[in-house]
Amino acid sequence: MKNVIYSVIAVGLCLLLGKLSTALFGGLPASLYGMIIFTILLHFQLLKSNRIQKSIEWVLQNMGVCFVPAGVGIINHFELIKNHGLVIVFIIFMTTFSLMTLVGLWYQKIVNSSQTHE
Amino acid sequence: MNNYSLDAILITLIFTLTTTLIYQLFFGLQKHLKLVWFNPMLLSIMVLIPLLLIFNVSFEQYFSATKPLNQLLEPAVVALGFPLYQHLKTIKYQWKIILALLTLSSIIIIILSTFLTMALLALPEIAISLSLKSVTTPVGIALTEELGGNSAITAFAIILAGLFGALLGPSWLSYINVNSPKAQGLAIGAASHALGTATISKISYEHAAYGSLSLIFSAVITALTSPLLIPMLLNLIM
Repeated sequence: MKNVIYSVIAVGLCLLLGKLSTALFGGLPASLYGMIIFTILLHFQLLKSNRIQKSIEWVLQNMGVCFVPAGVGIINHFELIKNHGLVIVFIIFMTTFSLMTLVGLWYQKIVNSSQTHE
Repeated sequence: MNNYSLDAILITLIFTLTTTLIYQLFFGLQKHLKLVWFNPMLLSIMVLIPLLLIFNVSFEQYFSATKPLNQLLEPAVVALGFPLYQHLKTIKYQWKIILALLTLSSIIIIILSTFLTMALLALPEIAISLSLKSVTTPVGIALTEELGGNSAITAFAIILAGLFGALLGPSWLSYINVNSPKAQGLAIGAASHALGTATISKISYEHAAYGSLSLIFSAVITALTSPLLIPMLLNLIM
């Protein structure tokens, strides 16, 4: 239980610092600043990762539910789906595979060339 | 007045709990069935929509009643810093090349997606939403709201991008001779974020490490570049 409180305070603190960073510098959403700050504090062991691990793993496993309300918003766009649904799915399909192919082939090339050097 | 706010609290409780329960039900079922396409997020949405229609609840009512869930989005993104911390050691020697590769690839695909959407549909709001579909949901939704996209479309596009990569990614990559676990992890993490990564994480530790690294790097890169890039592209086209 103490570890849960520790984790909540740690994440809350990082989010607060993130909000401050957004107010000061702009650029990134507060939550992303918070994420980077969280990583840095963990890396320099200012936060104890062994106390946080369990709670964070639970959060990562269950966070999907937080996105359901935004997704339900599709209810207001039936017209759009009816008219353009297929095209939208096509675009998503094409660009997802292009990105996957690009990154995969590129990094595979790096792996291959570093193997021939060895 | 007092009565009214009590009602509001009660409604919030009911809607938030119902949403959570439905999600947990599908989450448990998926764990049991082990089917990738049995996505709890997608299925919950598909069950909730008819429920709202039957009970005549508007999306605005539903959304304001599930505020607590929406407010957890920000801390959820912060929590993603943990896997990033865990995998930083893994790529100590290669982070520069990985960062460069992911930055360039993400930018190329944002450009491609924006042009493709504008060419086929000419709807800027949709172009913004779709160009943000490869990043993890909390980041994608935060960005789409910032840039004037449509968060419902973004949420849907993100789930679809995740499912495509999770279901077809590994076999497609093997087919085009991308066989290194690191390359597969990076590719699927970049294109299909947490959903793809969670699926391939079962294959090997390297898949998991490079996948989560890639999804987090891609999210940060997209968050940094898209607020400049997307409005610029749309200006160029229109």
